[in-house]
Amino acid sequence: MTRFAVPTGIIAFCGLAFWLSTQFDKVPPILLRGMQPADFPQMVLILIIVLSVCVALFDQPIEHGRIPTTVWVSLALFAVFALSAQLDLFLGLGIFACALAWAWGERRGWALTTVAVVSPAMVFFLFDQVFNIRFPRGLLTNLWYG
Amino acid sequence: MMEPLIAGLTALMDPNLLVLLFAATLGGVIIGALPGLNATTGAALLLPFTITMEPIPAIAILTTIYCAATFAGAITAILINTPGTSASATTCLDGFPLAQRGEAGRALGMATISSTVGGIISVVCLMLAAPLMARMAYNFAPPEYFALTVFGISMLATIGDGTPLKNIIAGAFGVFLATVGKDLLTTVERFTFGFNELSEGIGFVPVMIGIFGISELLVQAERLSVERRQVIMKAIKLPSREDYARVWKTVLRSSGIGTFIGILPAEGATVASMIGYNEARRWSKKPEEFGKGSIEGIAGAEAANNSATGGAMVPTLALGIPGSPTAAVILAGLMVHGLQPGPTMFTEQATFAYAIFWSMLLVNVMFIFVGLFGAKIFARVTFVPVQILWPIVFTFSIVGAYALDQSMLDVYIAVGSGVIGYFMRRFGYSVVPLAIGLILGGMLEKRLGQSLIMLDDQWWLMFTRPLTLLFFVLTFLALFGPFFWRRLFQQRDPMVSTGE
Repeated sequence: MTRFAVPTGIIAFCGLAFWLSTQFDKVPPILLRGMQPADFPQMVLILIIVLSVCVALFDQPIEHGRIPTTVWVSLALFAVFALSAQLDLFLGLGIFACALAWAWGERRGWALTTVAVVSPAMVFFLFDQVFNIRFPRGLLTNLWYG
Repeated sequence: MMEPLIAGLTALMDPNLLVLLFAATLGGVIIGALPGLNATTGAALLLPFTITMEPIPAIAILTTIYCAATFAGAITAILINTPGTSASATTCLDGFPLAQRGEAGRALGMATISSTVGGIISVVCLMLAAPLMARMAYNFAPPEYFALTVFGISMLATIGDGTPLKNIIAGAFGVFLATVGKDLLTTVERFTFGFNELSEGIGFVPVMIGIFGISELLVQAERLSVERRQVIMKAIKLPSREDYARVWKTVLRSSGIGTFIGILPAEGATVASMIGYNEARRWSKKPEEFGKGSIEGIAGAEAANNSATGGAMVPTLALGIPGSPTAAVILAGLMVHGLQPGPTMFTEQATFAYAIFWSMLLVNVMFIFVGLFGAKIFARVTFVPVQILWPIVFTFSIVGAYALDQSMLDVYIAVGSGVIGYFMRRFGYSVVPLAIGLILGGMLEKRLGQSLIMLDDQWWLMFTRPLTLLFFVLTFLALFGPFFWRRLFQQRDPMVSTGE
């Protein structure tokens, strides 16, 4: 199935990107030196489309096993992270790390605490104190930033 | 040449920097031994930590990680039959059988010595070849650079796990991603969707962290049930005099092969180790021992994969074309620090360039001690549970992606790149060409635009320039050569075509 599905998906993406590229501003011909802004991306997209057709027609199909449940769970946790990071980046990281370790079979309290609390806290203080990186304000970072 | 050579060495002799490099060597060895992590992922994850440093320590740390992690793959390959890096896959073939026979120490000793010799030879070649190559490229005009970049991208066809077609698609996708942001010649915004952060383009660092680090997390999710068993190792011992007598030619040959393969754009340590191993078997007086515990097999593979690290830095520094996936990350690091790799690096930033060379030489000496005395400990690192390791790696990845531009958009780009990278790998599209395409894409478009301006839009005039034509011919050979060779080979030897 993926023999045609993946190239079709790539071609559809390239088609959409090509259409978007036709909406770019154009430089008046009298001022133009070299290429229009859309020319280069369009050339690349056409190349990808042509090669994808070749893949669909000539490449040996590969058998893919089912994606394991743990991968789907991990992908779902990415979504959870993306949402919880809106409240606070480190809250999101803590929730994600704890949930991922749990989903992968970790049940020991000290290990879950390490990944969910100790490591995000250490990384936060390392970047904040040593590298002077300012993190976005949120529920937890406000406790430090005041 | 002597003045910058000495200045580079002096710049490296800062005690703080030496301590930092030793720590980076240990870190690199640990990264190489950790399950799923390799030199490329390690360099991508540590790149954000170097952003506040001066360029010399920052890039020296990345190159140290590169050399040390490439070497460390051998430790786990020999002791638990799991290559820490793909470049060490061939070391498993003879290393693990030797370890099972109770000669793990001898195998590790040989891997360490071969890696060190290979690494040192390649760095010496780097010191000699990179300035020469840069001097050659000094007179390149935009058409030559454009053709050279096209050649670099064409070499992507033969790397990674994918087929040539899929590799080129992945590389072209990387080039496409490089077009996001303001067009350099016209300043028109492209594919920015109203995000101001995208005006300067998609950052290399979040994409690299995503496709190398976060996608590997998903790959590891598939392998949770893999069990690792360690072979008992009594003590590390240096190879005997007989061993040296037997392998010295192999080590020298593989070092030459590895350095040459490394210099080729985009080819890296993995290809070098395979060719080094095959050549060692071809020239060996005892080829029947290969695969059953041959000391020559270990020497051939390890000398080749470590010498590829120095070779890969030649086109990276001299031309701005990455010689391997990890060199692509280092190239991104150079750009983040505002350094322009290319011919001018050896005139305007010669001290920096030579300091990097010296640091690579130093790390090759350092991991003799780390390899010989610490292998037993580092092999245990492999048993860190993935359930603990990968959530921590994710935390580092996300904070690293955020840190460079302090933008949450970069965090989402890293996660998105990780998901895309995982599905690419799953469907046979290597992520390495994507990374290299992203780095070279901007340069490719810029050089094409400049060439068209220079040639008054008469693009066909590029083919009248000898060097440009040479690079286009090399591109053609890189893309279609393997196909023609295979056809020719099949016609001459019908046994091959029938698969007998």
